Amino acid sequence: VAKLCVCDLLVAQCDVNCCCDPDCSAADFSLFTTCSVPIVTGDSHLCSQKAATYSLDVEADPPERIVKLIDQVNPSVFCIHATNYKQALSFSSPEIPTSENFDQLLKQFGSASFSAEPDSWNMNTDAQNPSDANETCRYKYGVPIQTVDAFLRLPSPVVSSWCSDVNPAGFLVNQATKCTRSVSVEKCGNIQAVSMLFYINSSILAKLYEFVFQVNITVQSIVVQSLNGMRTLLNGSDVLRLPLILDELCINIVLGVSYHITYTDAGEIIEAAASFVLGAINKEVLSIQQSFEISFTQVNTKPVPLSGNPGYVVGLPIRAGFRPQGYPFHVEILFAALVLNTNKYSQLTILQSTSNQDCLAAQGTRTPILFGYNMISGCKLRITADMKCQPLTQTLLDLLKGQSFPEYVASFGNSQAQDVLDWVPITHLHTSEQRIYNTFQSSCQIPVSLEIEVKWTKYGSLVNPQARIVNVTATITTTTAKQLPSGRERTIPIISSVVFTDSSSPAEPGYKAWPTINAKLPFDFFFPFV
Amino acid sequence: LSSVPLQILFYVNGIYYTFYFLVTLAMIVYKSQVFSYPDDFLAPDLALLFIMAILEVLRLYFGSKGNLTEEEAPLGLSLVITVGSVILSVYFLVWQTYVLKADVIINAVLLFTYGLESVLKVIAIAAFV
Repeated sequence: VAKLCVCDLLVAQCDVNCCCDPDCSAADFSLFTTCSVPIVTGDSHLCSQKAATYSLDVEADPPERIVKLIDQVNPSVFCIHATNYKQALSFSSPEIPTSENFDQLLKQFGSASFSAEPDSWNMNTDAQNPSDANETCRYKYGVPIQTVDAFLRLPSPVVSSWCSDVNPAGFLVNQATKCTRSVSVEKCGNIQAVSMLFYINSSILAKLYEFVFQVNITVQSIVVQSLNGMRTLLNGSDVLRLPLILDELCINIVLGVSYHITYTDAGEIIEAAASFVLGAINKEVLSIQQSFEISFTQVNTKPVPLSGNPGYVVGLPIRAGFRPQGYPFHVEILFAALVLNTNKYSQLTILQSTSNQDCLAAQGTRTPILFGYNMISGCKLRITADMKCQPLTQTLLDLLKGQSFPEYVASFGNSQAQDVLDWVPITHLHTSEQRIYNTFQSSCQIPVSLEIEVKWTKYGSLVNPQARIVNVTATITTTTAKQLPSGRERTIPIISSVVFTDSSSPAEPGYKAWPTINAKLPFDFFFPFV
Repeated sequence: LSSVPLQILFYVNGIYYTFYFLVTLAMIVYKSQVFSYPDDFLAPDLALLFIMAILEVLRLYFGSKGNLTEEEAPLGLSLVITVGSVILSVYFLVWQTYVLKADVIINAVLLFTYGLESVLKVIAIAAFV
């Protein structure tokens, strides 16, 4: 104990305020203010252990260090009097690997986690393996898609912008990459990566690790791009077109591949199709840019563009739709799917400001409402005396709301049109700008502003909250258009805005239920008395 | 005549042993939580504690019966079982995995009781023969 010193960090030098440092002389000790380590003891669980105390005597001049070796007694009645277990009170040194015990040590410590008693866990893992055998055959999200020889390649830029051919495509990971490849007309037949065969050569395995079921990659369409950039779709697309040199040009060079993989919900791939863009290069071209894309569709479904899964992602358009025709009552809504615009950017839109700011001239351009982005736009309306009220009101309403203003907004980014209860109805409010209420409202009320307020909340777990829309309110503000004397005209601003407000309530902790003590006395416990 | 001090000692021994058993069991549980107590060391300690309890019950039964019926055979059997109990008590005093100060105290008291009982039993056997 007298030789142990925790604060002695510098070798052959005196550490400051370290009273147990053997490198310090008496002169050094006189400069210390306190002792950073006042006592060094053995294990305090023992009934009596040796201890070395270090203290500074500041009364003396100069201050000197006092070292005392004492026996410290643990007064508790539960102190350890003796142990017969050698490793109890010290850390065990690990085994040094040798050639004999290397395999056993690897089995014990070679995985991501291990416990102090490895034998008790071995039985569990053996029992689980047979049932897992079925599970490992399915493709899971992110697993590289296997082909007969290696993986389905999706060349992508690594570090620099040059293509690397060893990037595997992950299952259900929709990717689009662009990279540069160096080519030349003389070698165009020899470079594998610019020929169609390279991309459709090997078949994809339908299930992981099983070579029995293979899916051939079919050529879906071929688009030929000429030297000046014009693209034409070829009619017969089942012919393999390999690069060949023609009139000092190398044609049928692959400029882009787009894979479409169809999968089932059991994790199997059943179809694979590739669409090519072929081009031509001439002698001056030294490198071309290739673009690759892969997308996955579940069998028997049409791909629905999602705005988040499940919560809305900031920047993706809000999904909205209508009640189908002929279902006026809410009760019957539950049996019918909503009707959505096929273009996901046109489902909920607001007016788009134009450079000339004239409302009536710029009809028709609208901008989609993206989740999380507050927007405001507007235009100026010039009213002349001969404009009639009713058509003006109608025009302005069309301008503000657009041709097809939806009735329902999806609460989650992946809400399906069939689940009507997942959709939030849009509430419409009308307010009037005039504070003073005239008893006759016979004058013309024209809408001047549309404000859409989308209230959303954070839904789900605290570490991964998902955005969910709970309320959408569209407020139309109207103002009175006074009748103008003839010849005069007035300009009024028309504003439309979208505001996203976060109305999440604070997170609540969710605990597991307390374990209950299920102790019941037997029926005849109090036999003689009951 | 039956030996009254011996009978008193049997009675006190019974109460004290119940206390000893519960305290030792509680302390083994405490040791297994606070210190590192692998299963290889915990199992023998617990097994020996339960064996000691069984032996103690038998010992007190035979001793009490022999004393009250004034027969030397059960008393002799009880004396033999006492030897086993003494060995077990020494195990818990010296060879246990963790010997705490409390262990030392209660085992010492138990050994003292055993010693006193053995002396009184020998005297009783001598009186009955």
